[in-house]
Formats: sequence, C-alpha cells, structure tokens
Amino acid sequence: MTRGASKSGARVAASKGVAFTKSPVLAVRLPDWRSRMVLFVLFASFAALGARAVWLQGVSNQFLQSQGKSRYERTLELPATRGRILDRNGAVLATSLPVRAVWAIPEDVLASPPEKITALAKLLGMPEADIRKKLDSDRTFVYLKRQVEMPVIAEIEKLKINGLDTRKEYKRFYPQGEVVTHLVGFTNVEDKGQEGMELQHQKTLMGVPGSRRVIKDRLGHIAEDLGMFREPHQGRDLTLSVDSKLQYIAFTSIKNAVEKFNAKAGAAVVLDVHTGEVLALANYPTYNPNDRSKLTGEQLRNRVITDTFEPGSTIKPITIGLGLDTGRITPDTVFDNNPGWMTITGKRIRDTHNYGVQTVSGIIQKSSNIGAVKVSQRIPPQEMWEMYTKVGYGQAPRFGFPGATAGRVRPWKSWRPIEYANMAFGHGLSVSLLQMARSYMIFARNGDIIPLSFVKVNEEPVGQQVISPKTAAQVRTMLESVVGPQGTASKAQVAGYRIGGKTGTAEKLVNGRYSRTNNIGYFAGIGPMSKPRFIIAVMVDDPSGALRTGGSVAAPTAADLFASALRAANVPPDSSITDIIIPEVPLEESM
Amino acid sequence: MSVKVNVFLTTLLVGCALSVVNARYQARHLLIELERLQQHARQLDVDWDQLQLDQSRLAKNDRIEQIARSELNMAPLTPARTQYLTEGAP
Repeated sequence: MTRGASKSGARVAASKGVAFTKSPVLAVRLPDWRSRMVLFVLFASFAALGARAVWLQGVSNQFLQSQGKSRYERTLELPATRGRILDRNGAVLATSLPVRAVWAIPEDVLASPPEKITALAKLLGMPEADIRKKLDSDRTFVYLKRQVEMPVIAEIEKLKINGLDTRKEYKRFYPQGEVVTHLVGFTNVEDKGQEGMELQHQKTLMGVPGSRRVIKDRLGHIAEDLGMFREPHQGRDLTLSVDSKLQYIAFTSIKNAVEKFNAKAGAAVVLDVHTGEVLALANYPTYNPNDRSKLTGEQLRNRVITDTFEPGSTIKPITIGLGLDTGRITPDTVFDNNPGWMTITGKRIRDTHNYGVQTVSGIIQKSSNIGAVKVSQRIPPQEMWEMYTKVGYGQAPRFGFPGATAGRVRPWKSWRPIEYANMAFGHGLSVSLLQMARSYMIFARNGDIIPLSFVKVNEEPVGQQVISPKTAAQVRTMLESVVGPQGTASKAQVAGYRIGGKTGTAEKLVNGRYSRTNNIGYFAGIGPMSKPRFIIAVMVDDPSGALRTGGSVAAPTAADLFASALRAANVPPDSSITDIIIPEVPLEESM
Repeated sequence: MSVKVNVFLTTLLVGCALSVVNARYQARHLLIELERLQQHARQLDVDWDQLQLDQSRLAKNDRIEQIARSELNMAPLTPARTQYLTEGAP
C-alpha cells in the first residue's frame, strides 16, 4: 500500500548509516487488513461503550437509580397507634402506650461481663437462668422480653451491654382492670384484639403505620424530605355505651353476692330502657387484663352473653303478656291451681305451695307454675313461638359481640304437650342473661322492643311493637306486685323507688339430670316503675349457702344494684316509702 | 462595554449561587427544627395519653370508694336521711 511504502521510504531516507530495512525482521511487510482491523475494533469498542452508556442512562435506568437511592435515602416508619376505648363519659378504658421489646445477639451479649447480665435479669424481672437459657441459641436474634416499659428501658440502656438492643412497640393498658374487662376484652402482644370489644372492633381500632422517604446527613439529621411514601392511618377511638360508675356498682354488687351466698359465679347486666345501650355488664369471677399470666377459662367466661340457661320463672311474664295481649285472659281471669300439682300426658308439674284459686296477677305474684301452664294452654304453640322470636329468644344477636349466643328455642311443630307446658314456666328452652334482660324491654317500653348496643347511641332507635301499650302497663303492675311484701321478690324492694321484676330459679343440669341441690337464681327487673329507666338482670350461679332461690340470692343483689344505680344516675325517687317490709319467711317461687 | 457586562453578569451569577447555597442551608436548618418539633409533639402526645391513663387509674371507682370509706369516713347516703327538694315547689 502507498502509506506503508512511503513510511519505509522515509525511514530509509532519514537514516545515514545502516538502514533499518536491512533488518530482515523489519523487512517483513504486515498485511494491510490488520491495521484496518485494529481501527475497526477500536471504533466498535467505543460504539459499544457509548451504546451501553445510553442504555444505562436513558432506557434501562431504574435499577441503578434505585440502587443509588438506597445509598442515600432512608425510609422512616410513621407509627400509628391503636385507638383508645372510652366509656360513655370519656373515661379511658383501654389505651396504647409506646414500650420497647428487648432483643439480643446471643454471642455478643454472652461475651459481656457476667455481672452486667445479672443486673439485666434484675431489671427485666426474670431469673438469670431464664435469660441464659434464651441466650443459649444459634440464632442471631433473640427476644429477651417484650413490652418493657420506658423507665426500665432507660435503666437497661445505662448498662451499655454489647449486642443488646430494643425495638419500639405498643402495649395496651387497661386502667379499670378487672371491673370492665369482660366487655372491653384485651389484645395480644401483636396488638390484635382477642376478646370482647377489642376483637369486635379490631378493624377500626387498628392503626396502619405509614412511612416517608428522607435523606439523612452524616449526623443522622434529616436533610431533605422526599415526601410521603404511605400515609399512616391512626386507629379510631371507640366510645362504648358502658358507664364506668354503673359498671363499678354492678361489679361490686355481683362480687359481694357471690361471696355472701357462697356461689360459684355471678353476673349482672344493666340496660338503658330508652336507647337500648348496655350501661353495665359485670361478671364474677373475673381477671386482670393487665396481667393474664394465670388466666383460667372460668375467669374468662362472659356469663351474660356467651352462656345460656333455662330462664325458669323469669319467662312467665312473657307467657302471661301474650295471653293478655291476644285477649285470651285479663288480669282478673281466675284460674284454679288446686291441688298444687297437675298431670300432662303422665308427667307431673307442681308448685311449691298449693296457691288455690288465683287471678292472673296472683299467678305472676306467687310465681305459680300451674297457673302459667293453664294460661299457656289457651295459646296455640305457634303464637307462643312467634312471641319468643319477636322478643329475641333463639335469635342470633345483632349487637355485635364475639361469641354471643343465640340461645335455643326449638321449632314449635316439634313441641310435645308436656314440653310446651314446661316452656310456660321456662324449661325446655335456653336464653342468655342479656336476651332475658332485653325481652323485658316490651314491658318497660310500652310494648315495643329496640336493638341493643355496646357502643354509645346518640338517638333513640325505632322500636318494633310486640304487645300493646295497655298490655305492657298491665304486666308492669303485676311485676311491681312481685316486688312487694306479698311477692316472691320481696327482697328486691328498694327504699325510695318503685321496682318491678320477676325472680327465677332453674335447676342446673348435672350429668344430664336436673339437680336438686345445684341451681341458678335470677332476677330481671325494671326501675323506677313510674318512668322506667333501667332494666337490670342478675344471675347467681350455684349458691351453696342456706339461701338458694332467685328470690333470696338474686333479688337482694338486684335491689342493691338498683338502689346505687338509680342514685348514681340522679333519678328522682318515685316512692315515699323508706322502710322496707320483708316478711319473716318470704315467699319462694317454684322451680 | 462588553467587559463591563461580563463583570456585572459574573458578579450576579456568583451572587445568585451564594444565595442558593444560603437558601439550602436555611432550608435544612428549618427542616431539622421542624423534625425536632414534630418529635416533641409526638412525645407530648404520648405524655398526654400517659396522663389520661394515670387520671383514669386514679379516678378508679374502687380506689375512690376505699379512700372515701377508710380515710374520709364517709358512708353511702340512704333515702331515709335524704331530703328531696322539688324544683319550683314553694
């Protein structure tokens, strides 16, 4: 080629001595294509680099950009706290506060001086052996203790143990403790509702943590805010219908009753007649929701809502109410209860005494089983079943409480005559204490029934008419006569207030048979009668002292509860009677 | 002429650049201050919750009854020794 030739020519021209070309090696001419090849490879390499640069900068830039960001951007967690639970007056029933979980890298912590670990064990309130056991692990992350409160954390941080760190979390506190716990429930260590309202309203109470992106400087200060990544949602506060004061009154009444009558358990519920709100719901035995380490099923049981029982005599006003409302009987209709027992298809039904000839009012006042059966014999089973359904027996509750029972009422077509007769005085069907209390609403409220609520209600709900206002007034008069010196609930009298109600005693099923010695006493009542305000139902389970019937264990408990509740709610007295007459031997209802 | 314009523009440019630096500096400081105050607000929220919890604990009916009965020697009132006044009555 020309270029090669001119070059070699120039070299020759420039040399004056021995020409380079004399060297046989240099004399070898390189092939032309080699230089072109080098040129091409160089260009191609540059072109490849350029294309790669364009590709990374312009087209496929996401990966590197995100890698870059992760080296200077930080994502900050924006905490969201669980909503508080408040009572109707705004008192705190449950609230979440930040605490810390203490975790460790076992290897590093074990390398620190033993006295530090001893001090740590003391601060955490755990035996040192337990801590060492937890640290004896191959894992690189071990929780030592969760939900440690802040003052303790400050002490632990002073110890400066290598490999020990804390993580922020929330702990639920229940300031009212055991008093209201069956209603409020509790959360687990992950802040999830496990029982009661905490479980029922988990979705609204729960907060959703958000996050935002920032650039931090060398000192850890935020240098630039890159905006919100995810909005945090704070949990919403929940205002319950419960009144702390009434709740406390109900709780102490029940607790005293269980201790006084040597009973296995007790429960009470207070309803607001006008709004259907549950103002108090007390159970005993109970537990402390702040320390659940020794929790048993007995303590956890909510006897008002999740337990059912045979309502016994407390159902009689419903039977009589239907009879009155359909015009089949009047308060003055006379029934002959002689001789104190009767036989239906070979099975005997009895009263505790022979009440002789009684009016309908007398049947309620004395709580005569035979009278109730005779009234029910005038009512077709289907109508009775419809009545039970309307007042909520056997119906799935709609007030929203986890584990609430529907009770049990069998379809009327399968009732045999003896079974129907038993139902007239409350056997062969089962209800919860709350259902029992709610069914009394038809008497307290001029014949209609409204839904119950566990959260605060701002306006009165619309009721569903079950019986006429006239019938309701007639039954109210009868219920008031029960709570009088002549009635079975003479011990439910309250000084200064007119109370009406009905006692009940049911024999417990022990090994599939009705027990003569184990029973449950009830009282369901309305007060004050001049202008009903509260419905109170009380249950005393298995009283083992001398007094066992509803009239002698549940009625006085309800009286205590009514007296304190009406006074606490500033209800003006509607009776001038301040001396209560309780007969020496009060009348006791049949079982 | 053009030299003067150049000098003027250069001075302006440097001035602007310095003011940008200053603005960034101020912004960062304000941001840090904001962060600090937000942190403080969160802490105050927690304190408020804590105080409400304490209030609820101290106002527990159980405790009040104990104190009323044992320390203040109070007894529950009964209708027998209560005089009720009707509003508007002579």
